[in-house]
Amino acid sequence: MARTRACTGGNERAMARHVEATVGAAAGSSVPGDRKPFADVARNHLDRLYGFCVRLANDPTDADDLVQETLLRAMRAYPSLRDPDRTRGWLYAIATNAWRDQGRARGREVRTVPFEGLDAEGDEFSLFQTIAIEDPFPYSDELHLDFLRLFRNDDVSAVFSSITPAFRLPLILTVVHGFSCKEAAAILEIPLGTLLSRLHRGRKQLERGLWDYAVANGLVTTADEER
Amino acid sequence: MIDCREAVRRMWAYLEHELEATPVSEFEAHLETCQRCCGELEFSRHLREMVSEKGGPPVPPELRSRVEILLADGEPSSEGAS
Repeated sequence: MARTRACTGGNERAMARHVEATVGAAAGSSVPGDRKPFADVARNHLDRLYGFCVRLANDPTDADDLVQETLLRAMRAYPSLRDPDRTRGWLYAIATNAWRDQGRARGREVRTVPFEGLDAEGDEFSLFQTIAIEDPFPYSDELHLDFLRLFRNDDVSAVFSSITPAFRLPLILTVVHGFSCKEAAAILEIPLGTLLSRLHRGRKQLERGLWDYAVANGLVTTADEER
Repeated sequence: MIDCREAVRRMWAYLEHELEATPVSEFEAHLETCQRCCGELEFSRHLREMVSEKGGPPVPPELRSRVEILLADGEPSSEGAS
């Protein structure tokens, strides 16, 4: 069972109102009474929710716990969800909060303060430029695209796990799960400007991570290594 | 006129269609004169596609079973969990 149990009810109801006000606004409203049973909703979202939780938790066991905790909280708060069209963002917001609580319960405080001073050097890294300059082996006419083709699912997951969580979350929500920046900001309960800033930092850490991973794992060989 | 550094900063927001009209026009004006940023924009598009396509692992059957029990009972199952 989920290791972190608590904080259900009021928090999720308040979050439901907040996320509903923002996420999926274009989807329109459902007629009250059209609401699907929660079990159907949970089954529909389970695969993607699990993928989100794996990327969030960085650990399969923790991801299992997180999925269960999320669904438990969501099940209890579901009657207060006024617009079922916005269930997806609401579920992800609950998962994010459950993950934060999970970290706190284990003594790992999840940082919610700005990160402006963190990894300032990495902010300038350009994977595009690095590939062009290093021109790594194997050589190719489609150097940049071939570099990306080297990565399997596990490789990308490994790189993602190395990204600072506060920068990783905006990337996961927008790039992997297709939320708009505005929706992601609502899910994370941060201003849009902060979201965009963190998305940029996450992207830079992703670029740096992909390059470092490729070199460290022998996916490419640079001129320095051949000497 | 924005420089390459600013163009790169706006690139993913541009791909997300999250830029306002003025930053978009400045960004696109920069692209008209900068081959390097055009290349990086295309690369960014492929990078985003690559990342988004690499979905998470499949749901383990054990978890799916526990979820079904949770949904049936209204409480999570402790079976098989650490």
